[in-house]
Formats: sequence, structure tokens, C-alpha cells
Amino acid sequence: MAQGQKGKLNYRCPRCLMREVDMDMLYDREADEYYCLRCSFTGDEQEVLRLNAQFREKYRDRMRRITEF
Amino acid sequence: MSNFYITIIHRPEMVPEYIQREAEQGQKEDLARNSVLQESLDIFRTQQQIAHDNNLRTTIQMTYASLFNQEAISVAKEHHEKYGDEIGSTFLGLQCQEFRDRFKSRELAIWLFSMDDKRRIVDEVFRKFQEVFGFYPTSTGSYYMDAELINYIKEKYPMIKVAIATCWEEGPKAYWNANNSWYTLMDGGPWNPWIPSRCNIHCPASDENDDIGIVAIPHLSRDLLAVFDGPGSYYGTHPQNILRGMVYEDREIPYFKNIVDQYRSMAKYNHGYAYNMMFVGPGWMSKNGRWEADYDFLIKSYQDGMAYYGRLKQEDKAIDVTMSQFADIYRQDRPYTRPECTLWKDILYGSKRQQFWYADPWMRFCLDMNQGGAMIDLRPYAAKLVRPCGVGTKYVQDASYPFLVQSLYRAGYFTHYAGEGAVKSCKIGYKGEEIDLCVCRTIASFSENGDTRIVTLDPVTIEFSQFSLQVQSIIRITEGTGEVEIIRRIVDTDDPTADITIDEYITACYGTTEYPEDLTGTQLTLRGAGRSESIDYAYQCREATVENIRLAEALVPQANTRLSMRTNIKDAAGYFREGFAFSPMYTIGIRKTVTGKGELRTWLKIEKAS
Ligand SMILES: [Zn+2]
Repeated sequence: MAQGQKGKLNYRCPRCLMREVDMDMLYDREADEYYCLRCSFTGDEQEVLRLNAQFREKYRDRMRRITEF
Repeated sequence: MSNFYITIIHRPEMVPEYIQREAEQGQKEDLARNSVLQESLDIFRTQQQIAHDNNLRTTIQMTYASLFNQEAISVAKEHHEKYGDEIGSTFLGLQCQEFRDRFKSRELAIWLFSMDDKRRIVDEVFRKFQEVFGFYPTSTGSYYMDAELINYIKEKYPMIKVAIATCWEEGPKAYWNANNSWYTLMDGGPWNPWIPSRCNIHCPASDENDDIGIVAIPHLSRDLLAVFDGPGSYYGTHPQNILRGMVYEDREIPYFKNIVDQYRSMAKYNHGYAYNMMFVGPGWMSKNGRWEADYDFLIKSYQDGMAYYGRLKQEDKAIDVTMSQFADIYRQDRPYTRPECTLWKDILYGSKRQQFWYADPWMRFCLDMNQGGAMIDLRPYAAKLVRPCGVGTKYVQDASYPFLVQSLYRAGYFTHYAGEGAVKSCKIGYKGEEIDLCVCRTIASFSENGDTRIVTLDPVTIEFSQFSLQVQSIIRITEGTGEVEIIRRIVDTDDPTADITIDEYITACYGTTEYPEDLTGTQLTLRGAGRSESIDYAYQCREATVENIRLAEALVPQANTRLSMRTNIKDAAGYFREGFAFSPMYTIGIRKTVTGKGELRTWLKIEKAS
């Protein structure tokens, strides 16, 4: 097995992100998956994007323009 | 009429972080690799152009490395001439071959060098700057500038008038966020510009003698609610920080404008003045993309942010100034005792939560309206703690200003059985039932009466098993007193004959991190009309009550602070409560019984102990 590499766009681990830890993942070309050195997450790009979308849900006002203060 | 000032700062950083990334990818570190230098310069030029396209002037903070690069120097000179940009200096971006050769160090944080090295580096950076430009800078900065460092700079280079001096609430949370690898441990400062004390950079100066001689500005304007409980580098006026926090959808970031607008609204709490700063290093706009965002999105976010500032300027709603211009303006109308106030509201999570932030030369505190106006953060600025940082000092990396209360690091309103958390609140009691105002969500409004700032909370309902009553909290701070007046008033009740206890308390400790500190040596004292009680803290769960209380006090030598509570009536009781090792807290409080309606007024005071 060859060494892991930084993947495109430097994906952070989505599970570590959920606890607000920025942990860059490594990419395994043969398995076509990302993996985290800290929390044991593994997943392909789709899985990362799915979890990232979930992470954003906590920001209920992320698309709301607020002008009254 | 309100004035909203913005300072936009760029730095030509010759060796941004991604050189390290390439090294990880199998290339050896090479500080002079041409492709990296060129990319960094391109980003710097792009940032400058985006600002100028929006008719905004910038402060160009020359890094030490860039002082050896002809292209960076000529861009700075040209833009100074053409756009009125200021050429300043920064202690970020020190690392380059010349630095390595001269100082034999890979350290990147100016505040973490030994004092000797700090002096040598300051002298070299300013010498080189002067050699290149023919004058000394008037602005400087880093992520953190300790008072000892600024005192030295002012002594040798008195023309320096402004510095980027802290990152707001970058402490244990930033460290955690970076997988425990980012040593910006600097919680506890003001969130908006201030004139620092000579003793400690976090503390606003109390008078001319205490004035360190510069105006300090924080690195970025941050979301005061989100960053209190989250990473500083997710939520602020740094578009790529917001991308890092993933506060966007479909490449749109309304959140940036919401932060800017909330900062603009601070004018109403601060005599018409408001402020914003943007400072994005070139490493954040890498061609390779960053934080799940490709280069186009990185650039777009920067363009959008700058376009908003540009639009505000065009509509006469913002004034773009360089750092040194801002320092002059700030000093024109800033009595030392004037506080910085902000009633911040949630613009991220969709709650109606508000937090009131306050800072003056005596203290910094935060009130949480979600917890009935409880004080969830308290820093004793009056103590003006001398706490040098860097190699050779006691604290090395821990540059935070100590707290007496930090509810997130010390549990706050407590939910399990074993002990207490740090918070200042009030309990309303009736025949063995007791409700803490921490569980009463409400909202507040802000007003001023002469020199007094007033936070008035909407009344909350307390439901006892037999009847209900309404309690209102009002917090008043009169400028220059070092005291916070807290009024808890029963404004309505279903049972005008019921005897109600109002129990105002503060449960506190001291520390700079999430971990407990030894409280041995703290002294708890009650002074009554007739008698006094006092103990030295020894984790023995001791308690005492004194009737006709004059003063309840905690003397915390670890933070050189005297924390006290007093009231204006004769028939209230004071008490203290010592903790134990599993609950390392101390509590002082004042309580009073009223029949039907009535109020308890107490004053919390912060003083230097010695
Ligand atoms: Zn992980």
C-alpha cells in the first residue's frame, strides 16, 4: 500500500469537524477513500460532503440576511 | 450621527503556510523557492486590487521577509503614492532565510521569544524597515503583542501609535480547534480597539500614567456569541474564516454582512462610534484552494466582503482609514474611563439569544440573557496583572488574562449533583423551593442615563408550586466606579403575603484554561454591622452567614484581586461558601427576605488586592 496523500481541497475530517476539531484527512488512492488519523473516520468524497452538509445545519441563519439590530 | 470606521490590512507574506503543506507532500522545505514567493506576491497584489477596485484604502503591513523583496517593496511604495495606503510593519511573517541566518530560530510568534530575542528582533525589523523606506513605521502588529514587548517598542521607537495586539478569545478553544497545535493562548481581551495598560496588554489603561502609548486593535472583528463557545477562526470579518466554519450555502455568505451590520449597530452603545477590521493573510487565498473551498470561491468570498465595505463607503455609512489614521481618530474622543459596550444578538443559530459584553479599565464581563442575565465571564482588569509571556517567563505560551468567572471552562449553571460551576446569578426562594434565574430565558434592552449604562431585562415568571411571581433584573454600571449594580426586583406576585428570599451570589474561581487551579490562599470574608467572619480557603466545605452584612468579599491573591459585594440596606445577610477539591469554587452572596414585592440591590466591585 502506497503512502496516504493530501486529497484535493484538503478535506477535513467531517466527524472531527462536528466537535470543532480541524483535522486534515489523508486520501488512499487504492481504496478511493479519505481517512482520519485521529478519530478513525473513513469515507469517500460523497460521504464527506454529506456530513459537511449536516454540519452546516446547526447554522439555522446561514442563509438569512439580517439587517435589524 | 454615527461613524463606522474600517481598517483593511494586507501583508505580503513571502512564505505562507502552504510551503509546509508542500513539504508534507514530499518536498523538502525551501524558504526561497521562487514559485511560492511568486504565488504569495500574486495573492497580495490581488487583495490590494480588490480593495482598490472598491475604492478602499489599506494598511500594508510589511513582513520582515518582504523587506528583502524588491517587488513587494515597490508595490507598497506605489500603492502608498497612488491610493494613500499606509506602509506599516508586522511581526507576522518573520521567517525567511535572512531571519534564519541571523536568529537561528524557527519560532514564528513574536510574543513567544525570550525578552532578549524580542528586543533584538524588534531592532532588526525596524532597522531593515527604515533602511528600505527611509522612515520608521507608525503601525505594527502580530496575533499578540505583550505589554513588555510594546513597552520596549515605545521606548526605542516612540513613533509607533497603533498595533494589532490580540485575537479575541483565541485561547483553549483555538488550541482545541487546531488539533492542539496552535499556540495562540490569549483569551480575555477587549473585542474592539482600546488603549492598553502598561502592565498588561489585555487591560484598558486607567489613566495617562497607565497608558502604554498605542491604540490596540484586535485581529478581526469577531462574532461575540459564536466565538465565546466556538473557534475564533470560524466566525469573524475574515471571509475565509467563515468558509472554514462552513457558514455558507451555494457559495453565498450573508453571514459576513450580518456580522458587519451588527458591528455597525454598536454605534448605539458607544456614543456613535463603531469599528471593523479585516486582515486576511495571503495563505488563506491559495491557488490550491483551502477549507473545502476552491480558489474561485476563496476569491469570490473576498470580493463579496470587500464589495460590501465599498458599498457602505459609497453610501456614506463607513469610513475607510489606515491603522495610524484610526489611532489618531480614536484618541481624539476616548476618555480612559469610557467603557466599550455591546448587546450582541445571535445571528447564526436562529435563537433569540443575547449577550451583553462590557469592558472598561476595571473589568470585562459578559451577561447572558438566556440565563436571566447571569454573568458568565468576568476578568479583573483592575488588578492589572503583570504576566510576561514567552521563553524564560513563568507562563511561556499562556498569554490569556485570568478570569474569576468563565462559565464554559467551569460549568456555569450546574446540572449534576457534585458541586457548583462558576457563574454570577440570583436565586428566588419560597418555603424550601428555590429557582435560579439561570433557568429563566429573557431578552434585554440597553439605555444610558448620564454616565450610567443600563441593561434592562424583560421580567421573567417564577412558578412556585403554590403561586407565581415576576422578577425583573436591571444591571447598571456607572462610569469610573469599578462597580456593577445589580437590581433584582419582584414586580408582580400572585401572593402579596408570601415571604420571598432574594439571594444574589457569585460562584467563582480563577484560571486561564479549562483546567482547575489551586485556590489555597484565597480568603473569604464577611463584614457585618456586629461581627465578621473570615477563612483561608482549604477545600473544607466551610460556610458562614453574617446578619446585617456590610461587605462579602473574596480576596484572590492568585489574581491579585479583591472581589466584593455590598448592598444598600441594613437587614440583609451575607454568606460565603468554601468548596472542595471536586468542586474548586468559592461563593459569596447576599440575601434578603421581602414580603410580596420588593427588591435587592447589590454592587459587585473589582479592585486590585495589593
Ligand atoms: Zn476525525
